[in-house]
Amino acid sequence: MAILAMASAITVTIASVMVYRAIDLDSNASSQLHVVGNILPVVALANIITVLVIWRLAAADSRRQRESTGALQADKINLERQIAASASDLRDSDERLRSVIDSAVDGIIVIDHKGHIDAFNRGAERLFGYPASEVLGRNVNMLMPSPYHEEHDGYLARYLATGAAHIIGIGREVIGRRRDGTSFPLHLSVGEMAVGGERKFTGVLHDLSSRVSLEKQLRSSEARWRAIVESAVDGIVVIDGHGRIEAFNPAAERLFGYSEREVRGSNVNVLMPTPYHEEHDHYLARYHATHVKKIIGIGREVTGRRKDGSTFPLQLSVAEMVLDGETRFTGILHDLTERTRIEAQLREQTALARLGEMAAVLAHEVKNPLAGIRGAIQIIGGRLPKDSKDAQITQEIVSRIDALNVLMKDLLMFARPPQPKTSKVELNELVRSTADLLSADPALKGIRVEVEGSAPAVLADPDLLKIVFVNLLVNGAHAMQGEGILRVGIGSQGHAAEVAFRDSGPGIPENVRPRIFTPFFTTKSRGSGLGLPTAKRLVEAHHGTIDIECPPAGGTTVRVQLPTA
Amino acid sequence: MDSADLKSLHVLVVEDEVLIRWSIAETLNSAGCVVTEVADAAGALYAAATEDFDAVVLDYRLPDSNDLKLLEALRDRLPGSTIVMMSAHGTPEIVRQAKALGVREFFDKPFEMEALKASLICPA
Repeated sequence: MAILAMASAITVTIASVMVYRAIDLDSNASSQLHVVGNILPVVALANIITVLVIWRLAAADSRRQRESTGALQADKINLERQIAASASDLRDSDERLRSVIDSAVDGIIVIDHKGHIDAFNRGAERLFGYPASEVLGRNVNMLMPSPYHEEHDGYLARYLATGAAHIIGIGREVIGRRRDGTSFPLHLSVGEMAVGGERKFTGVLHDLSSRVSLEKQLRSSEARWRAIVESAVDGIVVIDGHGRIEAFNPAAERLFGYSEREVRGSNVNVLMPTPYHEEHDHYLARYHATHVKKIIGIGREVTGRRKDGSTFPLQLSVAEMVLDGETRFTGILHDLTERTRIEAQLREQTALARLGEMAAVLAHEVKNPLAGIRGAIQIIGGRLPKDSKDAQITQEIVSRIDALNVLMKDLLMFARPPQPKTSKVELNELVRSTADLLSADPALKGIRVEVEGSAPAVLADPDLLKIVFVNLLVNGAHAMQGEGILRVGIGSQGHAAEVAFRDSGPGIPENVRPRIFTPFFTTKSRGSGLGLPTAKRLVEAHHGTIDIECPPAGGTTVRVQLPTA
Repeated sequence: MDSADLKSLHVLVVEDEVLIRWSIAETLNSAGCVVTEVADAAGALYAAATEDFDAVVLDYRLPDSNDLKLLEALRDRLPGSTIVMMSAHGTPEIVRQAKALGVREFFDKPFEMEALKASLICPA
C-alpha cells in the first residue's frame, strides 16, 4: 500500500514537473494545459501527504493490534527509512516544482473562491512589483485597475453561482495594475481546480506591454499614413510592376471620376488619353529592361483622362519603391486644371491689354490720315461733273474709307472697351428699342424680333449693352439668312437677369464652337469677326456671362446673364 | 443750312495733317469764310496773339501739344470765339473735359465737312 501510494504520488509529481516545463517552453500553450500544470503540483503534494498520514495512522493501529514487537520494530524502522526517503524525494520534488514555478517568466497566481491570493510566484512579483508576502491572503482585485477592481468580486460570485465562464478556461487580454499604480496589458489564462474540496483558481499572466506598445505604434503609424493618403488633396495612385492599379485614394477618385473599386487591378493606362494609353505598357517594359528613368523621380506635366472621357492637365510625380521584393510605383497627381485656366486667362488678359494699347495707337495713326483722305477726296469729287464716272469713283473711295473706319472702331471697342457708365436699365425696353433699330436696316427687313418675358432692372451702361444686343441680333439675323422670327426671351435666375437670343438658323458646327469668341474668327464672307468677342468683353465688363448653345432641335441660343441691380 | 451764315467769318484752323487742313480750309473758303491755317500749337498761339478770330477749329493732337492746355490758352486769348475740336481718338473723358472748357463740338475723325460747317454757325 505504501509503495503504491508513493509510486502514484511520485508519478503525479513527475507529470506535474513535465507539464510545468511545457508551460515554460511554450507560454502560448492552451489555458487548459496551464490549469493542469498549476493544479497538479499542489494536488499531488496534498495527496501524497494525505496518503502518508493515513498510511502511518493505519500502520500504528495494526502495530497495536499485532503485539509482535520485533517484527513490528523491524517493519517500523524499515518504514521510517522509507518515509524519510520519500519525504526527501518529496522535498526534492517540491523544491523542483517551486523552482520551476518561480523561474517561470510568466506570473502565476492562485486564488481561492473568495478571491484571496493563495500563491504568487516570482514572475508575478516582477510583473506587479509586489513581493509575495504583501499580497498573500489579500483580494486579487488589488492587482486590477478600475472598474475591474470593483467588479471582480462580483464576477467571481457570479461564476461560483452560475458556472457561466467568461474567462475561466478561455484566457484573454486584460489590464493589470502595478504596485506603483500604473496599468499594463497582460494575457491572462485562468484554470479552476478543487483542492481538498475547495475551489481554487490559477491564473497565468503573460506581460503584453511590449507587444501592445509595438502594435499601438504600428497601428498609429499605419493610421497616420492612411489618414495622410486618404486626406491628401493630390491624387495618389499606386501601381505594381505590370502597371496594375493597387491603390487609388479619394482625391484620385475625385480627379478621374472612378471609384477605387472600379479601377483596382486595372491597367493604369485607363487614366491616360491616346497615345499614352497605348504606349504606357511599353514605357514600363522599357524601364524594367533599361532602368533609364524618363519620369520616375522627376515628374512632369501630363494629361489625364477622366471616366467620362474628358481630359485634363496634371502634374505627375512618380516614385519607385520595392516592397517585399516587388517593384511598385507611386504616382502623385496634382490637378492643373485651375492653374491652366488661370494661366490662359492671364495670357488672354495680357494679350488684350497689349492689343488695347496697339489699337489706340493704330486708331490715331490710321484714322487721322483716313479723315484727311476722306475730306480731300470728297472735295475733289465735288468739283467733278456730278454724273461722271470719276465722281462715282470718288464716292466709292469714300465708302471704302468708311468701311475701314468702322473696322477701326470695332477693333477699338473690342480692344479697349470703355468703362461702363452704369445706370438702372430695363432690359425689356432696351431690347425692344434695339430690335426697332435693327428693323430699320433694309438688309434685315425679313426678320421679325419677338420679345417676351421680363426681368428686374440691371445696373448697366445702356449704350454698351445696346452694342451687345445689336451684335447678337445681327448675328442671329445673318444665321437665318435675313428671314424668319428671332425670339428674345427675358427672365431672371437668382440674382441674374437673363436675355436669351434664339435664332432658327442652321446652328454652329461643333468644331467651330470653341472659336466663336476668338477675335477676327468668322465664318461669314464679310464681317470683322469682332461681333461676338466684343459682346463677350462688354458683358464681362458688366460682370455678366455669355454662353452659346445649339439645341438638338436646331438653331442657336445665345444667353446673356447680367447681375440685377 | 445756309452757307451765308458763315460768310466772312474769320476762322483759325489748327491741324497738322495737311489733307484734313486743306479739306477744312477749302470747305470753309467755299462757304465764304476767311481762313487762317496753322499746323501746330506755336502757330496757333502766334495767330491768336496777332489776329482776332470768330471761330477756331482745333485738332487735339499736334506735334507740340497733346493735352487741353492749348485750348485753355486760345480760349483766354479769344474769349468771344466759337471753338470746335477734332481728334482721331478722343476718349470720352477728354471730350467731357473739352466741353467743360467751352468747346462747342468735338468731332471724331473722320467726320462730315457739312457737320463742321453747321457747328460753326452762331446760334441765333
